Amino acid sequence: MAEKEYQRLTRARSRSEFAFAFVSRSSLWLGKDHLLCVSTNGYTETYKRFYFRDIQTISLQRTDRHLWWGAVLGFLAFIFFALTVAGVPKIPPAQWTGGQMAGGIFLGSVTGLFILLLFINFFYGPACKCFLRTAVQIEELPSLNRLRRAHKALARLRPLLVAAQGELTPEEISSRIRAAAGTPPETTPAMAPQAATSPPTTPHPPAPPPVIS
Amino acid sequence: MNTSLVQCPKCQAWLLEGVFNQPDLLPCPACGTPLQIEVFPALFRNQRVGRSSEAVLVEGESSCFYHPQKKAVIPCQGCGRFLCALCDCEFNGQHFCPTCLETGKTKGKIRNLENQRTLYDSIALSLAILPLLIYYFTLVTAPMALLVAIRYWKAPHSIVRRTKIRFVAAIVLASMQIMGWGLLLVALTTHRL
Repeated sequence: MAEKEYQRLTRARSRSEFAFAFVSRSSLWLGKDHLLCVSTNGYTETYKRFYFRDIQTISLQRTDRHLWWGAVLGFLAFIFFALTVAGVPKIPPAQWTGGQMAGGIFLGSVTGLFILLLFINFFYGPACKCFLRTAVQIEELPSLNRLRRAHKALARLRPLLVAAQGELTPEEISSRIRAAAGTPPETTPAMAPQAATSPPTTPHPPAPPPVIS
Repeated sequence: MNTSLVQCPKCQAWLLEGVFNQPDLLPCPACGTPLQIEVFPALFRNQRVGRSSEAVLVEGESSCFYHPQKKAVIPCQGCGRFLCALCDCEFNGQHFCPTCLETGKTKGKIRNLENQRTLYDSIALSLAILPLLIYYFTLVTAPMALLVAIRYWKAPHSIVRRTKIRFVAAIVLASMQIMGWGLLLVALTTHRL
């Protein structure tokens, strides 16, 4: 049956960092000869296909997002914990009123929720951004936003891409890139920091035309 | 983007060596961001240049359906019309004319060109569940959910999801809501009598 041709590579993850509901979520699926990126808002699905033979690079860039989330969640957990402790009446629990008990349960639950989210955040591990490049586009894959998950996905993808295209060693890649950049091997540094927005062959932009007043 | 060069995703510096196809993340030589870049041979493949069509030279020679003055090189695998090199759109080893390609995309005949689908099962389920928060809305939304579920039962659903469980859940929930309203109506009527 044609409908069963995809295997799940990643579960749906939100595209936005502060997304909770009613936002686009993205997941990755493996097809026979392509990678399918499915974006959904719950009521429609949009598909992007990346054929194995067309994928040029997959880049992972480690980010600090998990640390920021950890800090925010830790701060909120601390605040609610402090509120819970401050709200505990100085009388024995048997003499607490219904309101005091309800307040304590509510604040304790919120504190527990933030602590749980904090643990989940650290359980997922370091965050990253993943970019897939073809000849005509560079596409961010939002569902690969954690390093461990990205490595797992890459481990499944790599053999398929190698089967479709073949394999290159790091030395081969460097020599080919140097050849493409017009840089002789072993005479230049690994990259040219001053050429951040232009190819290494043209490190300095051409001089602007003279202004005639 | 026809270059065989690779940039750091963060600082956009051109990378020449060091970080490619390594088992671990290594710092970008320019900004220090830990990177892992998997490079595949497609990066160094030369891009094919588009063909130009040739003019018909001999009278009686097959010509393109869309450009009668151009020589036909291949028939469309969708409609059989003769196509010149300009009109020949190759897709997954098959040759189509632009019209068939567009039709295949919009009508979903060429599966791999389909880039959007409406999830009627999710719509039906939402119509059955969300109005429960303000329950008297269900008087209208329950029949709507039932209608959507029955009307689009055979409509193509998600490419990657396989079951009709959402449709079934929507039908069950909507039917229960309609029955509930029916019982309420009956109860009110008999109470008045």
